[in-house]
Amino acid sequence: MIEANQLTKEVTTSEGVLRILDDINLTVADGEALAIVGPSGSGKSTLLGILAGLDTPSAGVVRVNGEDITAMTEEGRAAMRARYVGFVFQSFHLLPSLTALENVSLPLELRGDANATETARGYLDRVGLTARFSHYPRQLSGGEQQRVALARAFASRPKILFADEPTGNLDTVTGKTINDLLFQLNREEGTTLVLVTHEATLASRCHRRVTLRGGLLVGDEAALPGTPG
Amino acid sequence: MMAWKLLWRSWRGGQLALIFWSLVMAVVVVTAVALLADRVEKALVKESSHLLAADAQVRTSRAIPDDWLQRADDGGLKTVQMALFASMVYSGDNNHLAAVKAVQSGYPLRGLLTLAERPFVTTPEFFESVNHGPPAGEVWVDSRLLPILKMELGESLDVGEVTLRVSKVIVEEPDRGGSFSLFGARVLMNWQDLAASGVVQPGSRIDYRLLLAGEDSDLANYLAWLEPQLNSHDRLLSPDEAQAGIADTLVQGRRFLILAGSLGVVLAGIALALASRHYAAGQTAAVALLKSWGVSARRVRLLYWQQTFWLALVGSLLGLAIGWLVHESLVFLVRELLPVNLPQAGWRPWLVGLATGMLCLVGFALPALWHLPSLSPLAVLRRDVPVHPVSAMKRLVIGLLVIVLMLLWYSQSVALTLAILAGLAVTALAVMGPGWLLLNLARRLGNRAGSVWRLALANLWRRRGQTLVLLTGFAAAMAILMTLVMVRTTLMEQWRWQLAEDAPNHFLVNVAPHELDGVEHLLADNQLSSVGWYAMVRGRITLIDGQPPSDELVEQNNALRRELNLSWTDQLPEGNRVEEGLWWEGLDNFAERHGENVAPVSIEEDLASEIGVTLGSRLTFSVGGLTFDGVITSIRSLNWDTMTPNFYVLFPDGYLEKYPRIFMTSLYLPPEQKPFVNTLLSQYPTVLVIELDMVIERIRSMVTQVTHGLELMTLLILGCGVLVMLAAVKLSMAERLQESAILRTLGSTAQRILMVQSVEFGAQGALAGLLAAVGAELALFLLQRRMFEAPFGLHVELWLWGPLIGALLIGVLGVLYTRRAVNRPPLQVLGNLDI
Repeated sequence: MIEANQLTKEVTTSEGVLRILDDINLTVADGEALAIVGPSGSGKSTLLGILAGLDTPSAGVVRVNGEDITAMTEEGRAAMRARYVGFVFQSFHLLPSLTALENVSLPLELRGDANATETARGYLDRVGLTARFSHYPRQLSGGEQQRVALARAFASRPKILFADEPTGNLDTVTGKTINDLLFQLNREEGTTLVLVTHEATLASRCHRRVTLRGGLLVGDEAALPGTPG
Repeated sequence: MMAWKLLWRSWRGGQLALIFWSLVMAVVVVTAVALLADRVEKALVKESSHLLAADAQVRTSRAIPDDWLQRADDGGLKTVQMALFASMVYSGDNNHLAAVKAVQSGYPLRGLLTLAERPFVTTPEFFESVNHGPPAGEVWVDSRLLPILKMELGESLDVGEVTLRVSKVIVEEPDRGGSFSLFGARVLMNWQDLAASGVVQPGSRIDYRLLLAGEDSDLANYLAWLEPQLNSHDRLLSPDEAQAGIADTLVQGRRFLILAGSLGVVLAGIALALASRHYAAGQTAAVALLKSWGVSARRVRLLYWQQTFWLALVGSLLGLAIGWLVHESLVFLVRELLPVNLPQAGWRPWLVGLATGMLCLVGFALPALWHLPSLSPLAVLRRDVPVHPVSAMKRLVIGLLVIVLMLLWYSQSVALTLAILAGLAVTALAVMGPGWLLLNLARRLGNRAGSVWRLALANLWRRRGQTLVLLTGFAAAMAILMTLVMVRTTLMEQWRWQLAEDAPNHFLVNVAPHELDGVEHLLADNQLSSVGWYAMVRGRITLIDGQPPSDELVEQNNALRRELNLSWTDQLPEGNRVEEGLWWEGLDNFAERHGENVAPVSIEEDLASEIGVTLGSRLTFSVGGLTFDGVITSIRSLNWDTMTPNFYVLFPDGYLEKYPRIFMTSLYLPPEQKPFVNTLLSQYPTVLVIELDMVIERIRSMVTQVTHGLELMTLLILGCGVLVMLAAVKLSMAERLQESAILRTLGSTAQRILMVQSVEFGAQGALAGLLAAVGAELALFLLQRRMFEAPFGLHVELWLWGPLIGALLIGVLGVLYTRRAVNRPPLQVLGNLDI
């Protein structure tokens, strides 16, 4: 469970103090799929970063599984991320010098998983890239790269997956395939999903949708029945 | 393990190549230089020890004491005794006052004797090299002795009371040197025949010599024991003292190798720093990603440290191997030209090479990577997350510190280190300031030019920070190259001048006044010309300021014990310089102040300081029993390398003419005219011929040896320079890719983009070349003054070739290297900027 209380984020710019997030209160239940929507500059990604422990708020508290991550040191938050968190990014963030298989197995290797390569193969199979194990990112299409990124994110068996505009760099058709895959894996793995998106269709597939505008939480609504899926 | 895996993957991805090769190059340069310097130095020491025919030599006028020999033997040293004396030798009715040398059979301990079975041969195929002296019952003699005594090889020669067979002629004798003491023809005999000759009598003047050879430490121990026992008549000679000129050669050669090596490392260091910066920039995303997965900063640091350590270790080991190959192939080349066997190198060059690799890592690579572990993981979400690399200033200071450390270690000279650093600092200053102004000027001019120029120059100006850094790299590389080339050629010119092809190689001494015309005619008939005749009178200094010199002073100074060659001239001879006082024409009322019979005297500076006289000192000379006084009016320095007759003491015309005089001269005798010596001696048997051509040949061979060593250094430096350029271009590659993609998207043709890039690189190269000329000129000024003690002049060629070569080199290399920026489809570039 993720719990955010009275989150505020301010940054100092040349034109004075800018408030990016303003008194955000939010709870994400285990297994829930939450979409954060809102126009550009509304603070979506900032909120995602703080919830994931990548950034710290100016004020307020974030608890992940009951632990106050805002009170932790950077090292503490790193340990927390290692235990619970996985990511999918808009620009995929695959390492260009690693093959698809190595990109997926790297986080597993780093945590000392003896079966890293086997596990990675399994997840690449699941995202339909059996024939692409030894391809480098530059040899893959955008959709394929994001599939590798999905395999990498899920291979670590995270409890919570944060996705930042996962289809933002993809065309509509490819985007839809990726979305299908994301939700399929999410369902199969029972992961809590927090995603930032512009796209109404993607947001509508989540259990819940919160809307940010100018740093304020202006809407929190359950999705239509029959979703996600 | 994880580090190795990551390292291997990064290597495979090509991100480490430049870092790796820069490091390898630094190690290669240093190792090759160190190995070469070590071996050449050893060879030179050995060569100079050939001049002693030993590692050290003790000269004494008494028989070598038994305990000296015993002690040397116990100390693991090889010894050979020699006795040198002048003695009449006879063959039938003919006789000659020969320079006899009796040697034990181990002679020479170092170097070889070159012999021939026919007199006066000059072609090497008739030569035979041996490392032993003549067997008992035989003598080996100078070719010229045969015509003097009208004898043939194989005939008998009487030395004192013993009759010996003349079996071979001597072509070259390692320890003959350039000494003028060798007036008679050499007769080399076996030590065993010495007693039978009856030459060694109480009171006979015999020069005993003890030759020593062995391990450095054994020798040092022995000499430490021996030295306190030497009296003022004994003299210890080490290779360093064997010949001052060769010691100078050695010092200059070593300095040059150190200079070349250091500059190579500085260049490779710059390349390494630039490449590491590029690598670090590429790692930003990877580190952010690792950290987003929860890898701690500590672990990230450890992973990167381990990777860089292994990279440096592998690179250093490879560098050592390549460095060995490079130096070995050079040695091979040199061997073709000069059949000199270089001694093996010691362990120090390897240590120096390995340490260089590790120091380069610490000084140039680590600072660029230092900030990576502290990167915020937030960078995975936002491109604008600030990155805080170690500031350029700090990196510069660390790099400089490491460079200073290495320079000090290599050169073991603060002055040399400072000179190189000054060159670097001056270059940096000369780049940053004027570079900025020139860039600004170029941009303004570009605004009025065509669009290609406008775009290219605007690019340079827009990236002026980076351009200035690159300019510094380029300019420094080029300045170092220019400096190196200029220093090398300057140094070479100096050497070549000192040993010109037609430098006099024979001295004719003891020519009587009535023989002068005859000898002169004989020279002319053989199309030979001398450097002019020098008259001289043999005399002795008896009083200094009216007092006889103290016994101590006499003991210390050979010049006070023997007769000096006194000469006279109105013109200051070539190669002489008045250091103190005035030459004759500047003297006013000398006769009035000192009296009619007192002569003005010009004395050589070393002799003056040895016998403790200064301007105004009064010397009393004794010539053939008559005495006269002189007052020192000038102190001269001499250039002994000109191979022309030089005199310690000179008088104006008119003071010495009344004394019996003899004449001497020097001349260049081409090898094919060598038999002329024979002709001359048969007609003028009392004339003494000193053959310097052998000595010159030996010195020249050593100079050539060093020269070729230096050629390879320059090549290596060039390689380092290219690495700097590649690293610099690579650093700007991502930006170039993006720009080119945008331009092409906007409809620009590939050709046009290539034009823009050529202009951009070309202009940068030209600017770098121009600025490098400034830097090199200043560095040369310092180097020439501090290191080579050479006069300074502007080097116009630098200012012409610098910009031209810079534009071509950087233009071509840059365009070749960035071609892929133009050729890659724009969408691929824009959609997939490398992280």
